[in-house]
Amino acid sequence: MENSKNENNSSQIRPGLWATVNERYPGSMITKTDFVPLARLKKPLSESRLTFVSTAGVQPKNSLPFDTVHPVGDYTFRRVPSDSKPADLEIHQLKYPTVGAKKDLNVIFPIERLQELADEKIIGGLTTNFFSFIGYNMDALKLEQALAEDIADAVEAEKPDAALLAPA
Amino acid sequence: MDVTEHIKPPRAVFAPFMMGHHFGVPRHKELQRRIILEMLDFLTTATRSGEVKMLPLKWANARQEGKEIERRLELKEV
Repeated sequence: MENSKNENNSSQIRPGLWATVNERYPGSMITKTDFVPLARLKKPLSESRLTFVSTAGVQPKNSLPFDTVHPVGDYTFRRVPSDSKPADLEIHQLKYPTVGAKKDLNVIFPIERLQELADEKIIGGLTTNFFSFIGYNMDALKLEQALAEDIADAVEAEKPDAALLAPA
Repeated sequence: MDVTEHIKPPRAVFAPFMMGHHFGVPRHKELQRRIILEMLDFLTTATRSGEVKMLPLKWANARQEGKEIERRLELKEV
């Protein structure tokens, strides 16, 4: 009942697309049926350490480039030191327009804005590293059970109080 | 938005911007900052899991503002 209500009230931009893609490429699109419980911040924002996780394929220069041409994707992630300057970083990703990011990386990976918020004490601080991977991964199960778990472990190890996630 | 509705994250903020530009346009620091602040605000104001906060922004306006900023900055650099 709840599901059908949600379907009717859906704000999908392309209704039905999900079902069509899953029909052609079974299991390629992840659909969750339950909401995870809402976790509350345990400290005020001004005392909370923040981390950032992105699918933008941003990585430090001289780190192993993401495999952007592999037919089923690259299931690895890179750590991006949170004190990096945009000039220290580069993008290896073919699946989204980087016209803005090439002029100003902050449009997709707002590392300087996050550094400013930490300097101004609006947030308590940043984890030592941020995390980045590429969104082109055709094996949804591997993405969920391997890459997502690996990133979750790496994020957890840096003990953030909150995480911002952004797709590209 | 389509993806977000299917994977049901506990909180999500949606800006109706071009792919690859979710924090706005180049050199528009104020807009980039505002989007992060909206995300941070939602950390404490969201009342139920699955809620998606739609930001009252327009891509056309963001682009226009970005062009103005770039024009001003380029004028300064000359």
